[in-house]
Amino acid sequence: MTTSFPSTHYACPCSDLTSAPPPPSSKRASIQPTSFQVNEEQAFNPHSPRADYTLYPLDHLLFCDECDEIRCPRCWTEEVLYWYCPHCLFEVPSSAVKGDGNRCSRSCYDCPSCTSPLAVTQISQRDEALLRPSDAAGGNETYVLQCHYCDWSTLEINVHFNKPTKITEQLVKQRKSRTSGSKENVSSEKAAITHDDAFANLTNFYEDQLNETVEPQNAYPGSPYSSPANLARIMNIYGGLSHNALKKTREKPQPMREARGHAEGQTSFSANDSDTGIIQRLQSFGWDATTTSEQCLSAPVNNDTRFTDDLWPSATRLRTRRAKRCKSCRHIIARQEPKVGSMRYKIRLLAMNYIPRLSIRPLNPTVTTTNPAFHLRPDMPEQEKLQPHQTKQYVLTIRNPLFETVKITLATPTTTPGKVASRVTILCPSFTVGPAGEVWDEALSASTQSASSDGGRKAAMASLTGSSESSDRQPEAGKIWEKTRNSTSVVVEIIPGSLRPPPSIVPKTEEELADAELKEDDDVLEVPVYVRAEWETEVKPGETVQGRKEVGGMAGEKVRKEVGYWVALGIGRIAG
Amino acid sequence: MSRPTAPVSRRSTKTEYIETDTGNKISRRAYIEGKQNIMLGGKTVIMAGVHLRGDLCRKPEPAAEGEKEKPNTTAISIGRSTVVSTNTTVRPPMRLHKGQMTFIPMRIGDNVFIGPNSHISSASISSHVYVGANCVLSPLCIVKESSKILPNTVVPPGMTVPAGTVVGGKPAKILGEVGDGWGQGGGGEGEEWVEGGDLRALVRSVK
Repeated sequence: MTTSFPSTHYACPCSDLTSAPPPPSSKRASIQPTSFQVNEEQAFNPHSPRADYTLYPLDHLLFCDECDEIRCPRCWTEEVLYWYCPHCLFEVPSSAVKGDGNRCSRSCYDCPSCTSPLAVTQISQRDEALLRPSDAAGGNETYVLQCHYCDWSTLEINVHFNKPTKITEQLVKQRKSRTSGSKENVSSEKAAITHDDAFANLTNFYEDQLNETVEPQNAYPGSPYSSPANLARIMNIYGGLSHNALKKTREKPQPMREARGHAEGQTSFSANDSDTGIIQRLQSFGWDATTTSEQCLSAPVNNDTRFTDDLWPSATRLRTRRAKRCKSCRHIIARQEPKVGSMRYKIRLLAMNYIPRLSIRPLNPTVTTTNPAFHLRPDMPEQEKLQPHQTKQYVLTIRNPLFETVKITLATPTTTPGKVASRVTILCPSFTVGPAGEVWDEALSASTQSASSDGGRKAAMASLTGSSESSDRQPEAGKIWEKTRNSTSVVVEIIPGSLRPPPSIVPKTEEELADAELKEDDDVLEVPVYVRAEWETEVKPGETVQGRKEVGGMAGEKVRKEVGYWVALGIGRIAG
Repeated sequence: MSRPTAPVSRRSTKTEYIETDTGNKISRRAYIEGKQNIMLGGKTVIMAGVHLRGDLCRKPEPAAEGEKEKPNTTAISIGRSTVVSTNTTVRPPMRLHKGQMTFIPMRIGDNVFIGPNSHISSASISSHVYVGANCVLSPLCIVKESSKILPNTVVPPGMTVPAGTVVGGKPAKILGEVGDGWGQGGGGEGEEWVEGGDLRALVRSVK
């Protein structure tokens, strides 16, 4: 849920189109009657548990101009442009990712105990250096990986390096020598093979098994014929018994068997070892010395680590940059330059350039409301809580990013859905918003408040009446509050509901009481508003018209377009 | 380039901010040391209680006999339309270089917002970055373009915040990515400004 108010979140209409929820069985429905519909008959409930997965800030939404639909992470597909290491910012080719896994193979390591990056640090061994003659001191520099945040270093696992480069190689070597060393210590046939070794053995074993049972791909390796499958077929037809058939007749195909023995990767539980040692360590070092699950999962080498003293530095995980594609028409809707660190886009169809934008603010603000993200001073006043049953008026501004005049129709349920029912009235639910123009146009109208277009004249009139600044001006039903060239403001009246349920004479059942209890964020007043925008646009010559919502399609003809979507306006928290 | 504390008596001494020729707004209650080593790009706001430690710069090598004194080295350079909010400390980082502690010049890009009560010691901050309130950017961290640092974050020393990511926590972790529309929209006349976007309107509103 949002923490700062006022806020606007946009619901992508995909949830009722693409992934209609499966019809719930009657049992489930009785337990969870929270209906989630984004259609025009039933109001969208921002408090519904599924709403969080539909609501996005506008800058996260894209727009497919082929389908004329808003696109959200659920209705676009992503494809990886490149992989890169977030620490050294080098691009990793996808072949290397497939081969070596999604970790940086340079000297980028993360602290296993706090996840911050490790730095190669030189340590001086003074006492040793003093014993040596001074001219030999140059060669014995040692390096460790050190975390400058929590002061963890590889000295804790007794690892140091001879040179500051090729850390990965040195680390792998030390790891290998350590694990093989431990095996020698146990020195029995039942040596505890490490996870990695067991996995490698198993892989080898099953690959062999597969090779034995499945026909070899190329039975005639020497032939110049390029397609081995075709060649095999031809040989089957013309050549009598093929190499494979001969082989098959010679030996019966054996069913695949499972691994047996250590060499094939089998591991068996042995009760004798190490548990007592672990328990003793746990007793002496306590809970704090054990690893957390995040630490264990930081790297595969740490998966079985029980104590923080044994944690191994984890190589930095790679990140990806992804292009986005519309799921239904497969067109690319956002694609960046394929260069690490570049934020320039080749294609970017932002929803904010295609759908009208909403913003809400109090009509008579007690404090000047700015974007709450821009706290300039630490002593910003606390967000005021809304008093129940007190009517407050808000100005809802709709901005038009399109180059055509847009007809807007707003709809909202009279009482907000959710536990706390607040009454909402939009004084003027249907109006037009003027077109967005060029930048210089905007600059002109901003300075002189006059524009040549029809909407502009109205805007000028509105601004004139507004600029006479009658402070006693009252919002009227059916009239717009303010109008500029490409934005229109209307007044919304909101009466916050009470957090306490109304008293009743009939004693309530336990179920009802439990139902009435408020959960987290139930006191947040969010108003769902359905916005429908309609406009006419000319079909450009040569453009094929495909959209479902368009009628007609001759070049130069006017085509009606419309979009509809829910917006959740966060107003504030209601005082208890 | 402008000198931060330009002639004091240009305007009436009542206003909180001194505005320089290039449009920088510097609070009279900001603490600025070593102003000859600080570069401001223009239309940049330095608010009250901000410490700018321009005195922490690499000491220029003493000029040889007969040579001219070298021009000042830059300790902090801040781009255009950047806002440094109240009580933030900007302190160039230092590191051991050839056995000597030297200060590294710090670079802050354009349209960067730095929230109040933060401590900035990073090696560089690129453009269109949003830093929330009460953050600590530890020495020698690098913040790349169009990234967002959530409030109350501690960015560990030497960390690189890649372009277009959201980081948060103590120590900072990469939590996600900014939307594709980061910094777009807004910034126009009468519209509210957006994070990572053009901050000229915000700079204009600071009085």
